[in-house]
Amino acid sequence: MNNKRKKYSYENRRAKYQGHRHKSRRLQAAAAALLLAVTAAGCSEKNVQTPDGEEEVSIPVVLIVDSSTGIRNEETLIQEFNRIYDGKWQADVEWIMETEEEYRQNLKRQNVTDTLPAVITDLRMLPAFYYMMIQDGRIEELSDYIYTDEEWKSMIEPSVLESCSEGDGSIYLGPISTAAFSCSGMFWNEELFARAGIESFPETWEEFWKCCEQLESCGITPLALHTEGTAWAPMLIATAEAASSEEGAEFMEEFYPETYQNESGLRIARTLQRLFSYTTEDALYADFDVSYENFFSGRAAMIPNGYWMMDQIPEEWQDKVRFSAFPENKMISSPETFGWAIVSGYSEEVKEGAAALLKLRTRLNMEQREELFAKDPEEMIPAERDYIAAYKNGPQLVPNYQVKWNSILQEETLGEILPELARGKMNPEEFTAKEDESIQKFLEEQ
Amino acid sequence: MKKNKKTSGIQRRYLKYTAALLGLALLLSSVGVIISVRNRLTRSIIDKYEFMTERMGLTLENMYRKSDETTAECILYDDVQQSLKNQGLEEVRYIALSKYFAYIDLDHVAAYCYVDNKGNVYSRSYSDVSYKDIEESGFEKYLGEEYSKTKWFWAEDTLFGTGEEALFIGRYVRSLEYAHGPGMLFFKMEPGFLQEIAGISQELVDEAAVGIIDGDGQICLSSAPENFEEGEGVPDGMAEQIAEKQDTGMIYAGERVKSGVVSAYRDADSGLTVFSFVPDRVLNQGLIPIFLVFAGIYLVVIAVAVVLSIYFSRRFTKPIQTIKDAMTEFDGNNFERTIELHTNTELDEIGRSYNEMLGNIRRLLDEIKDQERELRTTELNMLISQINPHFLYNTLDTIYMLARINGEETTMRMIQALSRYLRLSLSKGSEIVTVEDELENVKSYMEIQQIRNQDLFSYKIDCQVDAADTYVLKLILQPLVENTVKYGFQDIFEGGRIEIAVWKKDGDLYLSVANNGTSIAPDMMEKINGMNDMPVGELKNCFPDKKHGYGVVNILTRLRLKYGDRAAFYCRAEEEGTTCTIKIPGGSGQEQHEQ
Repeated sequence: MNNKRKKYSYENRRAKYQGHRHKSRRLQAAAAALLLAVTAAGCSEKNVQTPDGEEEVSIPVVLIVDSSTGIRNEETLIQEFNRIYDGKWQADVEWIMETEEEYRQNLKRQNVTDTLPAVITDLRMLPAFYYMMIQDGRIEELSDYIYTDEEWKSMIEPSVLESCSEGDGSIYLGPISTAAFSCSGMFWNEELFARAGIESFPETWEEFWKCCEQLESCGITPLALHTEGTAWAPMLIATAEAASSEEGAEFMEEFYPETYQNESGLRIARTLQRLFSYTTEDALYADFDVSYENFFSGRAAMIPNGYWMMDQIPEEWQDKVRFSAFPENKMISSPETFGWAIVSGYSEEVKEGAAALLKLRTRLNMEQREELFAKDPEEMIPAERDYIAAYKNGPQLVPNYQVKWNSILQEETLGEILPELARGKMNPEEFTAKEDESIQKFLEEQ
Repeated sequence: MKKNKKTSGIQRRYLKYTAALLGLALLLSSVGVIISVRNRLTRSIIDKYEFMTERMGLTLENMYRKSDETTAECILYDDVQQSLKNQGLEEVRYIALSKYFAYIDLDHVAAYCYVDNKGNVYSRSYSDVSYKDIEESGFEKYLGEEYSKTKWFWAEDTLFGTGEEALFIGRYVRSLEYAHGPGMLFFKMEPGFLQEIAGISQELVDEAAVGIIDGDGQICLSSAPENFEEGEGVPDGMAEQIAEKQDTGMIYAGERVKSGVVSAYRDADSGLTVFSFVPDRVLNQGLIPIFLVFAGIYLVVIAVAVVLSIYFSRRFTKPIQTIKDAMTEFDGNNFERTIELHTNTELDEIGRSYNEMLGNIRRLLDEIKDQERELRTTELNMLISQINPHFLYNTLDTIYMLARINGEETTMRMIQALSRYLRLSLSKGSEIVTVEDELENVKSYMEIQQIRNQDLFSYKIDCQVDAADTYVLKLILQPLVENTVKYGFQDIFEGGRIEIAVWKKDGDLYLSVANNGTSIAPDMMEKINGMNDMPVGELKNCFPDKKHGYGVVNILTRLRLKYGDRAAFYCRAEEEGTTCTIKIPGGSGQEQHEQ
């Protein structure tokens, strides 16, 4: 089973933390120190003379070591890249143990201090920052690399390429992922469900709420939720539910919605308020790691997350954890969030090597997808088997709110107003009004 | 005593050669050492200055890194980020931020100035810098095209208005979140900032000219020791030459230039270059104490070598001196002065051999003395016996006449035989006679014995050599015949036979006397034959009772004295009788007769 974990480790970095805000100066200071380490280690061009007399070009990269498993994310990719391109390019990786959110915040700091590595990930999770990077010419436009390389292009799924492309056709995020690995749904505890007399995951939202009631009536907390880190878990459920209506589905397609004070916004707010009535007491002001612990300790029956959590399911839990699409066959998916970018400002040799790294990542991803789909279901854990079935069942894919909504709302406002909404100190109307204030603030800075 | 103190020849030569070898070795080694050590020491000294220069360069890099970290902290500071937002800062925070830069972790800041993206200037309250001043200073161009790289530049202070040249640190300040225009941050550094770099290697500053230049070859810092003489400063055009180098890191690693050595280290990030120039005089100064130490070591080595040479030469030559003294001081009488050496060398053998030689000489001298004494006695006897030979012959003639008158035939024959025998024995006085005379003599003796012992024996002489021209020691056959008559025929009264033979073989002359009487006793024969191997001096001791063997000892002694050790006398017991043979080496001839 450990092999299974490692096999899919390339998705680990999506892990548990999908959003996390850092306001404290203490953390900023720590991040600044980290930044300096990165400055020294990863962001200067270091070329090494090869035995052939040609200089091996160093490609600075910063990657994360998963704090819960100790696994180095993308280690297989890096080893393969350095093996294939030995003597020509060398991925010079700085492995850092930090959360996804810390990594993303450090991207901003590295940018303003001109110490970004040559390859950066997770950029699309910061929509405002992503567009600022494009506007300031800080990341490379990749369409030339992709369209002039038929081999690479042939590995890219059209839906992924489309999601990574801007309106004008330019591409700043390497479409390295596959849609098959980018979907989120609900992980549920079959044992707790059985104890409440529930045999299968609800197929409609009405059944979902009934399921929550039934679980609660049996003394089981239905949901593992949190409010920090862009409120990833509750927002997944709420936005999936909102997409049940045609209006809601359209709302979720909107980039930078102009207002949340509409039916869809209110529906999301109401759903959020209702969700928090079925969660643990420690959910407020907590991050995803608290939810994760609650689910994998049996204190909550359901937790929403993506495919990447498969290899983070503890071994003893693998037989009782199941996966389902959200009710009414909804899954949250935005493949562009997995896109990697190449930082401008490096030499052409470095950028060429970085593009080769992205291409290799695309190939490995494709091979792993094919291997997964060709695998005997009996060899999979139940949740993985469920995921394949759900993905093949043609779910309605709802865009990830993180790539659509403004950063102030995600990084500041949600963490402040969601606990208020959950505790009933704020009603859905007030909640959406606060959301609109974030839009105003955001627009002021544009 | 004076003689003893005088250095021996061997010791003198030993010292001379040792001194020559030592001198040659020292000369060659000193030349090699001087060349090698000078090169190595010079390189070592240059390396030292190079290392110190590199250390300054690394300090420069660290200081740049430090400034980069500090300005990064400024950029990430909340109020700085807030100042970049459209909303800007409130008055209170504006004032606080203006003071914030005074407390950053960077020493030697003379003045600072931050301008946000809306033209608001943040500086010290007494610093009257406006946005217009910043625009007009032209400092923005120093920030370059990089997004937000820390820049060090050496420029005239047109920002704060002092007009002096100074080092400035500048950086674009960008927003973390939004694509706003950048702000700009400038620090004017005090001279002490760069002096801190030079101060890291005080020894270098004390001994060499050091400096810092920017990418355009402008000298930002320069210092030279006070004791530098004219012409020892940095060569003209050196700064430009350094600035032209494109590399980074150690761009000059102790390289020789005119009148000195230059080292330079360029920091890629700041673009500044630290250099040092060490004139030849300083380099050589470093060599002098080392060469003095070497000279001292050589002197000590020479002194020790001389002392040891004298010591060992004395030790080695002292036994030789002892041997030499013993030999030169030997006066031929004092045989007690032997040599006692215990050096565990061949000299001990020489000493022992000398002592043995001394013993042999002493023994030989004793023998010679004894022989001389005997010779004198013999000669005296001979003289005595020759006093009245004429009287003896006249007397014998008178007796012969009386016997003839009286018709006594036997008496007449005996007197004639005796007369012939005595004439040969007494006359001429010579030791050497012809074989003819010797045979005549022994024949006379045998005739006398035949008269005395009627019918006792007959004799036969077989001479196979030229008897008239072959010489032998006289009276060597008569004692043998006498022994034959006395011992060989002691048991018979008639029928005895004496056969005398003379022959030559292999160049040697042999004379034998054989008889058919009683054979010689085996022990006597063995004893007599053994005498041939004994030293001459000991022959006389072979028959201590003096009653027997006188004839044999006499013959052999005379033969050995005359003809050497190869002369021999031996007896052989026959089935009937005894044969005695005399061997005279080399035969005998006129030459020997003359001798």
